[in-house]
Amino acid sequence: MSAPSIPNLLSLRGRGGGRGRSRGRGQGPGGGSGSGPESRGKAHDATIQGTDTDAAVSRLSAVDMGYLSDPYARYFVSNLGGPPARRFPIINRGTYTRTAAIDHLVHSFLSEATEGAQGQAVATKQIVSLGAGTDTRPFRLFSQQQQGRPNLVYHEIDFSVTSAKKLKTVEGVPSLASILSNRSTGETSDWSSKPPNGEYYCHGLDIRQLSPASTKTLPGLRTDIPTLILSECCLCYLSREESDGVLEYFTSRIPNAAVVIYEPVHLGDPFSDTMVSNLAARNIHMPNLERRRNEADEAARLKRIGFETTRQLTIDRIWSKWVNAEEKERVDRLEGLDEVEEWQLLAGHYMVIWSFRGDGFEEWSAID
Amino acid sequence: MSDLDKAIAQLRSCRPIPEDQVRELCHRARELLIEEGNVVTVTAPVTICGDIHGQFHDLMELFRVGGDVPDTNYLFMGDFVDRGFYSLESFLLLLCLKVRYPDRMTLIRGNHESRQITTVYGFYDECLRKYGSANVWRYCCDVFDYLALGAIVLGASSTLSPGMPEDDDTEIEVCDQAGSIISRFPRQRANQSASQEKLEAPNKSTADKTGPPGSGASGSSSGSVGNPTGAILCVHGGLSPLVDTVDKIRLIDRKQEVPHEGAMCDLLWSDPDEIDGWGLSPRGAGFLFGADIVKVFNHRNDLSLIARAHQLVMEGFKEMFDASIVTVWSAPNYCYRCGNVAAVLELTEDESGTGIFQRTNGDVGRSSGAVIESRGGPKNGPARRYRVFQAAPQDSRGMPAKKPVADYFL
Repeated sequence: MSAPSIPNLLSLRGRGGGRGRSRGRGQGPGGGSGSGPESRGKAHDATIQGTDTDAAVSRLSAVDMGYLSDPYARYFVSNLGGPPARRFPIINRGTYTRTAAIDHLVHSFLSEATEGAQGQAVATKQIVSLGAGTDTRPFRLFSQQQQGRPNLVYHEIDFSVTSAKKLKTVEGVPSLASILSNRSTGETSDWSSKPPNGEYYCHGLDIRQLSPASTKTLPGLRTDIPTLILSECCLCYLSREESDGVLEYFTSRIPNAAVVIYEPVHLGDPFSDTMVSNLAARNIHMPNLERRRNEADEAARLKRIGFETTRQLTIDRIWSKWVNAEEKERVDRLEGLDEVEEWQLLAGHYMVIWSFRGDGFEEWSAID
Repeated sequence: MSDLDKAIAQLRSCRPIPEDQVRELCHRARELLIEEGNVVTVTAPVTICGDIHGQFHDLMELFRVGGDVPDTNYLFMGDFVDRGFYSLESFLLLLCLKVRYPDRMTLIRGNHESRQITTVYGFYDECLRKYGSANVWRYCCDVFDYLALGAIVLGASSTLSPGMPEDDDTEIEVCDQAGSIISRFPRQRANQSASQEKLEAPNKSTADKTGPPGSGASGSSSGSVGNPTGAILCVHGGLSPLVDTVDKIRLIDRKQEVPHEGAMCDLLWSDPDEIDGWGLSPRGAGFLFGADIVKVFNHRNDLSLIARAHQLVMEGFKEMFDASIVTVWSAPNYCYRCGNVAAVLELTEDESGTGIFQRTNGDVGRSSGAVIESRGGPKNGPARRYRVFQAAPQDSRGMPAKKPVADYFL
C-alpha cells in the first residue's frame, strides 16, 4: 500500500479503497482465536492483508515500466480507482531485485531434476508459499514448466479471505483459469488445481495455526520430496515464537527442506528507526524489526529450527552481485535512477535469507 | 508590492496562490533571472542551503534555524521540487522571496528543475492535482530555464567572529537547531601544515611553500588570520570534464531544458567520489570526479572551496578531499523515510577591508572572472558554521500537515 504512487495525494484521495481497507474484514477461520498475546487483533490482520494490495500495485508498476515481465500482474490490481499507480524508480528497482532474487533461488531449486539422494530421479519438487496473497509466481511457474523440469507441487497459504479472492480472480480470468485448470473447490476457502505438470493447492488459513504440535494437516502436502518454503514479507509480521513455530511445522515433517525469507531488517541506524515508526503509523508491526539484526543470531535461529546451511544478502548486494552487467544496463535505461544514495539506504535494509538441509538444494551451493 | 507580500504570507502558511498570480510571479522572476549571469556573484555573509525537495515544513524549519529573509542572505543550490508533498508551495515561496528581496536570495538550478525529471518525481503531478491543469507546471519550468547554474561567494571570512579574529581560531563549528554548539574544529596552524608538507615533500615536484597545483589543502592556513579567503563556488552537482575554469561556465547558453549531456548537465548531475580523475556516474548523467580534479580546479580558479548539494548525507553535510569540497543537504528525514538530519552552511563576512566586491544581480557578460586578484598561494579556507537541524514536527505551525506516507516493500 503506501505510497506515493507518484501523484501522492491523488492516490490517497482518489482511490477509495486502495489501501486494503476494502478487504478489511478478512480473518482466517480460527485466526486469532485463543492465540493469546501475539494477536494484535483483527485490525492488524486486516492491515497485514492490505500490505498484499501494496505489493500487487508495486508489482504492476514494475511490470508496466518494463522492469519485470509478468503478464498476470494486472489481474490482481483493481482498476476501479483509475489508472494503475506508478511507483518511484527506487521502488520499482526494489520490486525488480526482490523478484529476480527469489526467481533465481526458485529456478535453481527447480533445475535439479535428476539427482536424488540415492541416485534415482527426483521427479517432483514442492514449494510452499507463506502469506502468498496475490503472488503470480505459480502462474508463471506452471505456464513455463518445461521439459526436464521436475513436476511441481505448489502450495499457497494465506487468510481465507485472500484465498477465496484469489479463486474468484482465477475463475474470472480465462488466461489464469487455463493455467490452474481442473480446479476443485470445497466448502471452505481451500481450493486446488491439477495443471498438467503438477498440483496446486491454495489453503485458506491463518499460518499462525501451524506449529510443530499442530494437528492441522495441509491437504496435498508431501513430506517425501524436496520442499522450498517461501516467505516474502510474511513471517516478519509474526512474533518470533509464531514464526519459529510455522517453520518447525514443516521441518518437523519434511527431511529435505529449505526456506527463503525476504524481509526488512533493523540495522540500528536512523533509517531503521524511521522505518519502524513510519510502519507503526500505518499500524504495521514487525516484531523482528524491533531489534537490531545480527547475522549470526539469524543463522543460529534457523539452525535451531532445523536448517543446516544459511546464507543471507541484502537487496543492495544482490543488485550488485546477482544482476549481470547487461541486465543492469537494461534496467538502468528504463527510468534512470536519481535516488542512488536512497537506493543504497533502502535496499541495504532488506535481506534475502536462504537456508536449507538435506537433498534437493545442490544447485544452491554455488550461490552466494 | 503588497500583492507580493500577500502571496508570501499565503505561501508561508502552505497555501498555494491562484494560477494567475503564479503566472505573474513567474513572469517577474524571469525578468529578474534573465539579468543574472550563469554564475551569480554573492558576497558573504551568506547561508548556503542544499536540496529542499518539496519538504515545505522543513523549509520553514530551515528559516527558523538559519534566520528569516531578508535578515539572512540565502543561497539555495537547487532541487526545490519533487519527492516531497509541497514542491509547489516550497518553490513558489522561494521564488516570491527572490522577487521581493533579489539581493538577499540566490537560487541556482538543480537537476530536478527540469521538465523531464519533474514528470517522473512528482512536481508535475502535484501541479496537476492542485490546479487541475499543467499550466502552473509550465510557468515554473519556464522559470527553471532561467535559473543560474552556479554562484561564486566572495568576501567570506576565515574566522567566525567578526571583529576579533585573533581570538577566534575556529575553522569549523557545528551547531544544533537551537544554536548550541555541538563541536568545534580549530584551524590547523602553520607549524602543523609545515610538518605535513615535510612529510609529503618527497612526493612533491617542488618544495616551494606555495606548492604545485593541487597541494593547497584549503584547511591548512599559510596566511595570517583575517585575510580574505579564496572564493567559494556553489553548484548543485559538481564539476565537468568540459569545464576547467569558472569562466567556461559563464559561456554556456543556459536558457534551455537541462540537456542529457554536456557541461550544463554535468554541473547539475556530477558527484565527488573517492576515485582518481573522472568516472562514470551510477545516475546515468554527469560524472564522478576525484580529489585530484577538485584540487586542480580550485587552484586554477583561485577557489578555496566548492559547495554543492545533490547527494543525501545522513549528517546533513560532508566535507571531502581535505575540505576542498562540501556536500550540503537541507532536507531532513528525506522523503519522510531516510532518518537523516539536514544542515545549512553559514559563511561570515570578512571585515578586514580587503577582498570585498560589489555584487549585483546584473553581472551580464562578465568575462574577467569573479576573482580578480591572484596571489599564487593556497587561500585560507573560509570559516564554516554548519547549522544542523531535524525534520519539523508534524502539525507544528498550524499549517495543513498531511501525514506523510513513505514507501516500503511489503
